[in-house]
Amino acid sequence: MNTKMKQFADASMEKITSLEKRLSGVIRPIKPRKEFVHGVAHRIQAGTQSALVDRITNWHLIAILMAGLISLLVFLAVMGRVLLSLQGKKRIA
Amino acid sequence: MPESEEQDILLSASQGNLEAFGVLYEKYVERIFNYVYYRTGNVHDAEDLTARVFYRALHHIHTYTDRGVPFSAWLYRIAHNLVANWHRDRSRHQEIPLSDAPTIHYKGEPPEVALMQTQERDALLRLIRQLPSERQHLLILKFLEHMSNAEIGKTMGRSEGAVKSLYHRTLLALRDELEDSDLEELTQQPDTSRLD
Repeated sequence: MNTKMKQFADASMEKITSLEKRLSGVIRPIKPRKEFVHGVAHRIQAGTQSALVDRITNWHLIAILMAGLISLLVFLAVMGRVLLSLQGKKRIA
Repeated sequence: MPESEEQDILLSASQGNLEAFGVLYEKYVERIFNYVYYRTGNVHDAEDLTARVFYRALHHIHTYTDRGVPFSAWLYRIAHNLVANWHRDRSRHQEIPLSDAPTIHYKGEPPEVALMQTQERDALLRLIRQLPSERQHLLILKFLEHMSNAEIGKTMGRSEGAVKSLYHRTLLALRDELEDSDLEELTQQPDTSRLD
């Protein structure tokens, strides 16, 4: 019985080894086309422009946020002033 | 490229240096292309997805942080996600058009043997592509990159033992698939002595 099991295990192991051999023959490195590789490399280098656009977009966003904050502060100051002035009028009355 | 040099290039690239990113691109483009090609089985889609991997990497390189995992693992993760989306977008699995498959030259071998090998290759690749994506990834790293289990573990975020076990289970599954298919008969080595 043990010999049979050993034979089975050996045969199985042999198949696995043979499969590994076949896989290494099938999965081989492939060279991509040069035009493709250079094309993408070129577009990556041209990314300078888009990076600059990104930076400008970021700068615009910051400017808009700053303007919004200043507007909010001015609005709060005006409201505060209105409330103070209404309170003053009440006291006089 | 020594590891320390790559770290410097990575740092520079993450600070927006396109030239540094270009160096990384040159280093990894073939590996990513191969990975995507073996996952999709189509040169045109492999080119398209490879390009997208690097555009996405360029867009997010500033968020890259070194956690002791190779940079290639980061790229493979992007590639893996894009390939997964690609598969999701397709209602049915695309076969490799023969005209699309890269030519592999079998120097010094008779045409009969070469034909047999091409058929075996296509059939075996079809079986590999039916495996779960993680197992395909493992086989690609093992046979294409010749990585050790420890290196594969780092790339795939698994322990060395888990990789070893997954590899063994993958081979067993493939062996069973081969036995069930007609490929086993097809791939029996022909008696080349008669062809001399």
